[in-house]
Amino acid sequence: MLILISSLLLFSTALVLMILRMMPTNARTAWLVAVGGGMLTLVSVFAWLTQMPFEFALPAWQPQALFVNPILFRADEISFPFALSISALTLAILLTAVARSALTNSFTWAGVLALGGLGLLAMTANNPFTLVLVWAALDITELLAQLRSVEGSAQNEKVVISFSTRVFGIGLLLWANIVSLASGSAFNFQSISPNAGLYLIAAAGLRLGVLPLHLPYSDESTLRRGFGTSFRLISAASSLVLLAHVPAGSLVSGLTPFMLVLAVIAALYSGWMWLRAPDELTGRPYWVIDLAALSVISALSGNSLGAVAWGCALILVGGSLFLSSIQHVWLNRVLLLGAWSLSSLPFSLTAGAWLGALGFFSPFVIVAQALLIAGFIRHALRPAGRDSLEDQPIWMRTMYLSGIVLLVAFQFLLGFIGWNGALQVGAWFHALAASLLTAGLVWATPRLHVLNPIRAHWVGSAASGVNNIYQNLWAVYRVLEGISQTIINTLEGESGIMWTLLFLILFISYLAQGTP
Amino acid sequence: MSAPVVWILIPFLAGILILLFVPEKYSSIVGGTVAMILSLVALIFPIDTALLLGSLSIKISTSVEFFGRSFSLSTADGTLLAIVYGSAAFWFFGVYSPKAEKRFISLGLMIVALFTASIAVEPFLYAALLLEMAAMLVIPLLVPIYQKAGRGVVRFLIYQTLAMPFILFSGWMLAGVESSSGDFGTTVQSGAILGLGFAFLFGVFPLYNWIPMLMEEVSPYVTGFLLWSLSIFTTIFALGFLDRYTWIRTSPQLSSAIIYTGMIMAASAGIFAAMQKHIGRIMGYAAIFETGLVVLAMGLRSSNIVDIVFLLLIPRGLELVIWALAISIIKREVYSLRLSEVRGLARKYPIAVAALVTAHLSITGFPLLAGFPSRLALGQELAGYSLTISFWVFIGMFGLLIAAIRTLAVFVMADENAPWSVNESWVQISMLAIGVIGLFVIGIFPQVLKPFFVNLPSLFEHLGR
Repeated sequence: MLILISSLLLFSTALVLMILRMMPTNARTAWLVAVGGGMLTLVSVFAWLTQMPFEFALPAWQPQALFVNPILFRADEISFPFALSISALTLAILLTAVARSALTNSFTWAGVLALGGLGLLAMTANNPFTLVLVWAALDITELLAQLRSVEGSAQNEKVVISFSTRVFGIGLLLWANIVSLASGSAFNFQSISPNAGLYLIAAAGLRLGVLPLHLPYSDESTLRRGFGTSFRLISAASSLVLLAHVPAGSLVSGLTPFMLVLAVIAALYSGWMWLRAPDELTGRPYWVIDLAALSVISALSGNSLGAVAWGCALILVGGSLFLSSIQHVWLNRVLLLGAWSLSSLPFSLTAGAWLGALGFFSPFVIVAQALLIAGFIRHALRPAGRDSLEDQPIWMRTMYLSGIVLLVAFQFLLGFIGWNGALQVGAWFHALAASLLTAGLVWATPRLHVLNPIRAHWVGSAASGVNNIYQNLWAVYRVLEGISQTIINTLEGESGIMWTLLFLILFISYLAQGTP
Repeated sequence: MSAPVVWILIPFLAGILILLFVPEKYSSIVGGTVAMILSLVALIFPIDTALLLGSLSIKISTSVEFFGRSFSLSTADGTLLAIVYGSAAFWFFGVYSPKAEKRFISLGLMIVALFTASIAVEPFLYAALLLEMAAMLVIPLLVPIYQKAGRGVVRFLIYQTLAMPFILFSGWMLAGVESSSGDFGTTVQSGAILGLGFAFLFGVFPLYNWIPMLMEEVSPYVTGFLLWSLSIFTTIFALGFLDRYTWIRTSPQLSSAIIYTGMIMAASAGIFAAMQKHIGRIMGYAAIFETGLVVLAMGLRSSNIVDIVFLLLIPRGLELVIWALAISIIKREVYSLRLSEVRGLARKYPIAVAALVTAHLSITGFPLLAGFPSRLALGQELAGYSLTISFWVFIGMFGLLIAAIRTLAVFVMADENAPWSVNESWVQISMLAIGVIGLFVIGIFPQVLKPFFVNLPSLFEHLGR
């Protein structure tokens, strides 16, 4: 029931904001309502700790004989850190919104709250069937919001393509359902068939842009700091949670090394692009892919705990960086604490990230992780293009700073309490190697030309370089189109009836021989 | 009063009266109201059960004799009639094109009445004749007077007409099979002939080519209505065969043949839909895909067969009417429905485009929409049968999804700074909004259909037992 309370707090606050929007209320009241809802939600998620693990099921679909799985939510050591991260992110976005008043309004805040509510439902989904429903809701919401905010045919097309990749991810998850049922297993996270495990990873990987490597999110226009951050991070986390449920037995497959290779390539490429991105918002798609790739690698190495750790880092560390639109010396230093959370050093948020067997891939993963941290440090310290808080009232400054500090504080908090990944020493040697390499990269960045940031307009072409692979798919599509058009023309042409009857006779003759 | 008079004779006469006496602009309201009243009567007044309204006792009797044939509608038919006339009301209220309005309403009512007669007639083999009559009545709906029929229309009539003798002949043979169950040769022959009859009636691969042709040649709204009404009654007719003849129900060969036929239909329709450049034709292939799923479900020797089939059929009416209405609205703006012509129209007709894409995604089986629960249930049943067949059905769904994404991409690819505007009328917006909300409600809470599922299985004596 607590799951429902937390989600409903977010949804009902969003509803209240929509109602207030129709009344002559000032923006400050609406903001207070939004922040109040966000705070209550955060408190209610903490309250989960008193009863965990617990479940909440919605009334079963009817006729019951047809629908095996109920819509079921569960608060446990996997969902709790994600839920806490999402509720903290939602509150932080609302707190920092005071500094973005020119671009935000109560409608945007309602959107952030509703997204947070959907995010909580996604994190607590206890079977893939429930997760599919929440994914679909998130995808539709994102599609509508993006289509409203972009201009021009190319941008609109990108929005639809990014929607399509995520929908194909849903399709893969449904296929995993079929495979699991065909093996005689129920399709819930506790008893999923090992045969379906790799499909789960592929589904999450496809939605995240890792397997195969692609940019699943279109370039944003107006959806930048607040709403955009909420979209990007919650949407990605909703896919990452699936990785935390992959059964270890399903990884004993000949395909696993190939998927690891693809994930490592994605991690290295996106880490490189993230390091060289001109600013943090331009590089955000690579940040998401990089962390998602590291999650996939953790899951494929048999350590689903790592997927949770990287997922929380994606939200909390990424959230603190992407919401920082203000130039403030102390804030920049506080942000740097995120590097600790990404380091997988003992007792950090990601300390349990590399407990699986990486084997041959270990050096590559260390490089990918170092690129990620070095990029983070560079973007956290980069002052250019940020506004100042100097001319804002004191309460605005306090609220804004508390929003960022909240996310940083939760990174440390999750290193110590609430889930199985807390208080871990982890693979300290791996963490040390990644940290040393990071230090080297940070030192070398201003000194080596190749590590310097690329100009903004180059980023697009680099991305399209990767997307060239997908242009080849178009060629295959054209060939198939030609073949199908020939068949259709034959059947619909003058001699179509004769061809049709001939096919029918052949089909009956074939069936008459016995069971096909 | 007897049930066949209420649900066959009255709508048929209403159709004639609308054609002769009702002014053009009121015909949609009159026809829709008649259908809605008939639907409500079917819901409120159980057939063959006395209902006391104060001192007044009302009872609708079950059957009536006509030219030596009996027309009978039982209590179990009540739910089906409520669904059919309720959906028909939606089609009639949603009529868009003023020129085709009156003819569509009057002939539409007569067609539904004839289809209803096909499920009521005894001996039930005569249903084939009534289906053929309904098919012939569709022709003036498809082809305006003094206009030459297109190839799609001709092919539709040929295939529907060919279905009739096959089914009648197989019926005659089936009587022999029942009396001499050991005669394997006759069994195979009658099975093949029956299969051929239903192949024409359902429009299995490759006999479905008239559907995309019609979608291109004539009004998509009229074709959509035909696809909805024909499929629902053909399915009930086919289920009737499965229910009556034990050997059809229990034959593993026939079951496999039906399943493979459905699979080929669904997969081919999905693949062809992905390659289309005409949104009308895409809708046609989507309807074929869904019929394929119905055929596939009928082949499963499962106790849930009736529930799955109706879970597929009920949302289908809503999906097709929304899709057809949206296409009709868009067609007013463009010369043809080719993708190149409708580019960027989402900003001009946002409601129609949103409804069209929603209906398309629903037929694809997108979660949260009405088509999803039925695909999920069918997928679970298929998983226990064959992973290969499940895979090909998935390919079909994948093809339809590609078509949906292509359509959406083309619709939203507007030029820079093209303004958003709403050009649909408030009636159109209301109809589309009701339909889309309905798709979401059924998709999220399929239990809203539970009242229908209580009675529908009792339409059949043996199926699903």
